[in-house]
Amino acid sequence: MRKWLGRLRNAIRPGRLDYNLERELRFHLTERIEELQDAGMNAEAAARLARKQFGNYTAQVERTRDMDMAEGLDAMLRNLRLSLRALAKSPAFSITVVLTLALGIGANSAVFSAINSVLLRPLPFPNSDRIVSIAQVQAKTPQPHIAPARLKDWNRLNHTFQAISGYYTQDDSELSGELPEKLTHALVAPRFLEVWGIAPQLGRDFSPQEEHYGGPNALLISDRYWRRRFGASPDVVGKTLRLGQLSYPIIGVMPASVAFVQRNVDLWSVSAPDFPYARSRDLTWFLGVGRLKGGVTLAQARADLATVQADLAREFPKPDAQIRTAIEPLKEQTVGGVRESLWVVFGSVTLLLLIACTNIAALLLSRAASRQHEIAVRFSLGASRASVAAQLLTEVLLLALAGAGVGLGLAAAAASVFRVLARELPRVDEIGLDWRIVLYSLICAVAATLACGLVPAIVGTRRSLAGSLASSGRSQVSGRRPAQFVLVAAQVAMAVTLLAGAGLLLRSFQALGRVAGGFDPDHVLTFRISSSWGETGNLKAAGQAVRRILETVAAVPGVESSAATFLLPGVPGTFPVELSLAEGRADSEPKIVAESRIGSAGLFATIHIPLLAGEMCPQESNSPGMMVNRSFANAYFAGAGVIGKHLGQPSSPYFPTAVVRGIVGDARERGLDHEPVPTIYYCGLIMQPGLYFLARTHGTPMALGESVRRKLHEIEPARSVYDISPLTAHLSDAFAENRLRTVLLTFFALTAISLACVGLYGTLSYLVNVRQREIGLRLAVGAMRAQIVRQFLGQGMRVSLLGCVAGLVLAGVFTKVLAGMLFGVSPWDAITMTGVIALVIAVSIAASLLPAVRAARVEPMQVLRDE
Amino acid sequence: MGAKKNDILQGTLVLLILKTLAGQKRLHGYAITAHIHSASDQLLRVEEGSLYPALHRMEQAGWVRAEWGITEKNRDARFYSLTPLGRRQLAEEEETWERLTSGVGKVLRYA
Repeated sequence: MRKWLGRLRNAIRPGRLDYNLERELRFHLTERIEELQDAGMNAEAAARLARKQFGNYTAQVERTRDMDMAEGLDAMLRNLRLSLRALAKSPAFSITVVLTLALGIGANSAVFSAINSVLLRPLPFPNSDRIVSIAQVQAKTPQPHIAPARLKDWNRLNHTFQAISGYYTQDDSELSGELPEKLTHALVAPRFLEVWGIAPQLGRDFSPQEEHYGGPNALLISDRYWRRRFGASPDVVGKTLRLGQLSYPIIGVMPASVAFVQRNVDLWSVSAPDFPYARSRDLTWFLGVGRLKGGVTLAQARADLATVQADLAREFPKPDAQIRTAIEPLKEQTVGGVRESLWVVFGSVTLLLLIACTNIAALLLSRAASRQHEIAVRFSLGASRASVAAQLLTEVLLLALAGAGVGLGLAAAAASVFRVLARELPRVDEIGLDWRIVLYSLICAVAATLACGLVPAIVGTRRSLAGSLASSGRSQVSGRRPAQFVLVAAQVAMAVTLLAGAGLLLRSFQALGRVAGGFDPDHVLTFRISSSWGETGNLKAAGQAVRRILETVAAVPGVESSAATFLLPGVPGTFPVELSLAEGRADSEPKIVAESRIGSAGLFATIHIPLLAGEMCPQESNSPGMMVNRSFANAYFAGAGVIGKHLGQPSSPYFPTAVVRGIVGDARERGLDHEPVPTIYYCGLIMQPGLYFLARTHGTPMALGESVRRKLHEIEPARSVYDISPLTAHLSDAFAENRLRTVLLTFFALTAISLACVGLYGTLSYLVNVRQREIGLRLAVGAMRAQIVRQFLGQGMRVSLLGCVAGLVLAGVFTKVLAGMLFGVSPWDAITMTGVIALVIAVSIAASLLPAVRAARVEPMQVLRDE
Repeated sequence: MGAKKNDILQGTLVLLILKTLAGQKRLHGYAITAHIHSASDQLLRVEEGSLYPALHRMEQAGWVRAEWGITEKNRDARFYSLTPLGRRQLAEEEETWERLTSGVGKVLRYA
């Protein structure tokens, strides 16, 4: 290393080198002249003689300097030339290694590119590490939404935020075109753009007048909508869009980078905080976002906002005393959920790369042994061990670089595959190649070079091997190749680890498929209908709208029944509430906490949740009612006693007290991988954003999609119907990340076991080749062919069994990491482990059998004649 | 330049320099030539044109260390000293030399 630095210095700063050299040589000359003078020569003659003896002075300088610089470069070029020649001589070997590495490095770089874009890169905003999400925390409900008045107070009273703002979204129909088009509309609090630190790419931000109730309407549109609808025309500013009853002038276009917090937002407009309805501290709707001041830590901001809220609690004890605040970095909130999965996949793919390297190392070892003769010749010609090893490593480096190059191509292709396979992954649109991925691949290549090449370079250049030149002209290799077999065992061990992981994930998936959800998702069509929060101002009309839609849908031929709900059954989502019993309840009894769902009366008939006791909610009723599931009834009321009781949150506008009408069966509402929990179902819905509509159909659900849409357009021409899909698709989407992880891991594991097999096969074949003479001799003196087969098979099996044992230990560690992602299997599932071992043994028998049989087929006479 | 009788056999220069430095703490280039010259009873003379490239090559191989210093005559000179690596190299080269000379000697006697 020091040597290299010196050389680099020489190459970069020849001036200094020349000066030093000249100084050194001038000194030499002076000394020589002095010596000659001491011997009695006059000064002039001495100088002349010394110079003559010294030779051409500048040539001297140059020669010495060239020595310094050129030697390193020379050696490198020579190594490169030699390596290229050696590799060209064995193209099959070279191609195998390059492809193996390309697969290993490519897969690794691809996963790293996902990690880089999703986890490592900051969000695409200026100083994005200062952007946080802010929520209000209330003991009784999990919803994080904030009352506009409170958001305003927080922004006014805090000392650590540059700005606090908020937003909520609804799906609107834009009516200025021929057909209503559904657009996702974000309604934002003032200061929204300031929090993100961005300005519209075209037009302007909202003006102060527009941020007040009664001020002019104004709309910012997304880059995507601008391109789709207006062909990216620059004179879009000033055009108007029609949303419901209102028309909005467009004042600007947002930059393309604004894909947060919700990536599909098309429109932004202001939700004025001084809107009379917004003054209530009980009605909450904003999701909070804030930008910290520079130099403020998360802890300081949390403490600051907690103090602010404590002051508010004194001022408005009624709701605010119950309310706490929560702050999280926005990035964490966006990508935190997939971190574990991504690292698991990355770990697996790294293991795969390690296997590929080990495989190549074993290949190289065999090759080094057969090149013993060549290496011995080079030693005898005076090459140092370091230079031979350097040349061997250069060969591997060339292969690794080629592999990394091909691998990068694979990674680039994988980025688009990711975008298709993992649509739900946050920030998936940002995945792509950048300089970091290229750098990472290069590092992979160098690491792979060292991992594959170091052992063979050290083993291959042992002096004792070099001595073999003297001992025999024919290459004679000892039958013991411990290093190679250790490498094969290591591959088997890593393959077992990956197989165990993949097996457990597969078994989880299987278990998930077998789960009875407590409802029947087949033959159910789901769709959504645009609506705005403004409609909720007229409760009666909004309730009628839902009923009219449900009746219309139920009347479509082929539809059995229809329903509406907020959260689809079996799609992960949780909304626990704490309820109080109007009839009174002793303090000693546990609090009533239940998962809550709001649905229309027809929900149970539509998704086939059975009625166990009592009656269903009537379609129309003057007093609010609810259904509870069996778990709820058993947990809090000892069964049927719950019917007729009144439950609710007396102070909350969202959970009015309602009478319990009946008990229904348990359903896995929170996701198929979650056991049913005590759940209540509020009956009765009003039209509002976020609703899902369901229709049970006789035949294939999607076949009715178009007729449902057309029928609804007749009665509700101002609404758009969208997101039409079968309920089963939602259920399977809910496990998309799960499935992606499983598919990837299975793919890696299968690649791993194939590589390990190839390694075992290659090593044994090589062994058989070099021991042909011995086998021939043994056969000639009467050994049975079966014995030979048994011997080689035994050797292969010993290695792979050793690998299995080591692999099980490794798997123990790996599956512990996986434990949180498993469903219905333990990390030490005996069936999985047995299956993995059986698979590994079966394939290692296959891989060992071929070379073993070939060994037994050796013709003794043939071999002996060859001698 | 024509061959001279006191030209040093190719490849032995390094050995000579290593050996010279092994006996001393540190020497500059001129002192090395002087030492080889006198120790060989004026039989060997090191060409400056070979000495300095050799010294720099040896420095890069890590066998010698070089540093600037002042001679007793108060002149700036570059001093070379042996590193542990150089010491090992010396032992190796001495052995090679022994083998070579004894081999060559035997051949010569045999002929």
